[in-house]
Amino acid sequence: MKSKNKSLKIIVFLVLIILSCVYLLPIYVMVTTSLKSIDEILAGSYLAIARNPQFSNYAEVLFGSNRFRSEMLPRLVNSTIISFSVTLLSAFFGGLSGYYLSRSRTIFTRVLFVLVGIALYLPYQAVIIPLVIIMAKTKLALSYWGLIMSYLILNIPLASVLMGTFFLGIPIELEEAAEVDGASRVQTFFRIIMPISLPAYASVAIIIFTQVWNEFFLALSLASPKTQTVQVVMAEAKGTTLVLYNLQMAAALIAIAIPLFFFLFLGRYFIRGILAGALKG
Amino acid sequence: MSDEVHKGGMVLAAKLKKSRRGKWSVLDILVFLVPLLVFLVILYSTLAWTVYVSFTDWKTVAANYQFSGLKWYKFLVAQPRFWVDIQNNFKWLILGVVPTVTIAIFLAYLLELSPFPAVESYIRTLILYPVAMSFIVTGTIWSWLYEPNRGVFNSILTGMGIDSPFRFATNPSTATYWLILIFIWQYLGFSVIIIQSSFRTAELQEMIEAATVDGASKVRILFSIIIPNIRSGLMILVSLLLISALKVFDIVYIVTFGGPGISTDVLALNMWITSFQQHLISAGAGLGVIIFAMAFIIIVPYTIYALKNWFE
Repeated sequence: MKSKNKSLKIIVFLVLIILSCVYLLPIYVMVTTSLKSIDEILAGSYLAIARNPQFSNYAEVLFGSNRFRSEMLPRLVNSTIISFSVTLLSAFFGGLSGYYLSRSRTIFTRVLFVLVGIALYLPYQAVIIPLVIIMAKTKLALSYWGLIMSYLILNIPLASVLMGTFFLGIPIELEEAAEVDGASRVQTFFRIIMPISLPAYASVAIIIFTQVWNEFFLALSLASPKTQTVQVVMAEAKGTTLVLYNLQMAAALIAIAIPLFFFLFLGRYFIRGILAGALKG
Repeated sequence: MSDEVHKGGMVLAAKLKKSRRGKWSVLDILVFLVPLLVFLVILYSTLAWTVYVSFTDWKTVAANYQFSGLKWYKFLVAQPRFWVDIQNNFKWLILGVVPTVTIAIFLAYLLELSPFPAVESYIRTLILYPVAMSFIVTGTIWSWLYEPNRGVFNSILTGMGIDSPFRFATNPSTATYWLILIFIWQYLGFSVIIIQSSFRTAELQEMIEAATVDGASKVRILFSIIIPNIRSGLMILVSLLLISALKVFDIVYIVTFGGPGISTDVLALNMWITSFQQHLISAGAGLGVIIFAMAFIIIVPYTIYALKNWFE
């Protein structure tokens, strides 16, 4: 399909320039602004590089100050604990049930698959009120477990379908060989399927982690002051520090650092996870 | 020698006949199935619970499970706000999806045709990075780009000597469209990836090759060969975008909080405000049920398609 058409080259070139502006401008503005002082920002010329980089903005955002009370550091810790726990647990349980969904062919499994499919895209608004009631009644809302449990309920179906998609691609002969050698299904799974599926686990983990890290609706409705996540504190900072754009942008950069790191350095797993989620589930 | 191999083969085949394929012991069920079942039961119970609450008379912080029929649904549809939400949600569904898919098809095709492989990988990374970002962060950045007086866009225009006519998210009659633009920006890369992967089937590539040999133009190939043959990929992408557009909450919350007035309000935001700020729990549950019902219409055909694929 590659071609050496001249007008095509011009179109590609134009699209390249337009897309570069549209997609680099926001991130460029975010970085330069985060390094400016507020006076420099109010003077206009947003596109200029920060003349005198204020790295102290980052310290102010992380540890808080008189004018920026939504310090990010404890929330980064919260988000990290919650996202990592949910990722590990959903990948583990999702792997188990994904294996069941990919190997059992009964009517029951088909019904189960439909229920999982609906759960995958369930709007959180349809379950949030009971979740808030349960977490308040059981006092789980006061600890990380409130958010972790809620995210698990919503992410285990997703992890099951994603892992199942990868397991469908593993030739069944492999398991039959293990079976002939007398291995039970559980042994086969843990000794053969799991080790060869580590790249799949990596993809699923990255997708779940990013999703939980970036989730806002549940975090907003369920978080207590002690378990507030990065996204919730970002929203709060925007509401209370309207004109401190430099600090807002520094906070935004800190908030996207971890997922962006995964995207830039583990991009292949990232894309594979997206495609698995889209094309099968 | 060959006899022994044959015998060995027979034994293997006999063993495989008694294979447990499809058979699951109690231990297997406990390990592989029960965890998923537990979480699914909790999930569907909470869903049923929401439906139940929507038919009760719970209107303060204190729980009240007294049955009140359709009272709160009637309350909802009697409010002008509900109809503003419905209109806005439909704007999101159409304008969040149609332009995104159209641009994505064009871009994906262009990337396939691109004579420079380096350009392709650069553009892919460039437009895909927003998938790693939350709408809260994107919304924070775009709020500042959009700010009408000191914001980045209008400052750039002023710097170019243009008196900007745009008030962006502060003009009630157009604010929703500017919000939808953020959504398109965020989902474009994701859409291109999905379209590109549905291009890359052997059959389609052969058809394109044949058409090229026959002298069909590139535009012709796109419309009469590629688009009809990526229907399933398109259907998946459209379903995913529809669901995301329907559930939209974060962008509206962070950029306008439904304002100015209620001009950019959507069902999900209304649901949150009704439940957690006004504490009209039954009405909030009703909105949750309505959002679920709309999502259900989109999810079911998609799930049936996925089911066929999965068990083929």
